[in-house]
Amino acid sequence: MDRWQYLLVLAACLAITLPLEMFGDGVYRQAWRVVRAVLPVTAIFLLWDEVAIAARVWTYNPAYVIGVNVPVRLPIEEVLFFVVIPVCALLTYSAVSTILGRFNRR
Amino acid sequence: MTGLGYSLPAVLAVLTVCALELLVLHTGLFRRPAYWLSMLIVVGFQILVDGWLTKLSAPIVIYDDRQITGLRFPFDIPVEDFLFGFALVTGVLLLWERQRERR
Repeated sequence: MDRWQYLLVLAACLAITLPLEMFGDGVYRQAWRVVRAVLPVTAIFLLWDEVAIAARVWTYNPAYVIGVNVPVRLPIEEVLFFVVIPVCALLTYSAVSTILGRFNRR
Repeated sequence: MTGLGYSLPAVLAVLTVCALELLVLHTGLFRRPAYWLSMLIVVGFQILVDGWLTKLSAPIVIYDDRQITGLRFPFDIPVEDFLFGFALVTGVLLLWERQRERR
């Protein structure tokens, strides 16, 4: 069960931010805009991650990852991290923008 | 602390993202209160999630002590992670904003 820790943390992030989708135009409802915002940044950070792992700047504890690696040495959790965290940030920003916008219109 | 294999790229990532906005994209993101309020919220949750990932008692991510400044705050989070997070989130929000203008 411990090996699922990293994945469960990511799942919790998605679950907690999901209700934010109801504010304004949402994020999941603009899937193509998400792809175009997230993909270029994620690509650069995954490259950074690969280099850091190769240089042993940081490593992942095999006790807390499921053990599936994406070429070359990235745990699958780490790839998901760079999708999940940007989506959570977009949901936060979208909701905050919508809420602040309502105040400004009054 | 000898290599700064994390500290240096983390600082460079923040500078790169800021330069991208100020010199290239000009989305106005840094002038939006919604951006700064969102970053505050993001950092709050980062402390929870990252605190869990980096806790020294049972770390999910293990750092080479020679590649970081060794400053860990709060909990056991290497301070470099906050630069890393800032660059990641700001980069994504910049590209998100850029598409608003194009519509």
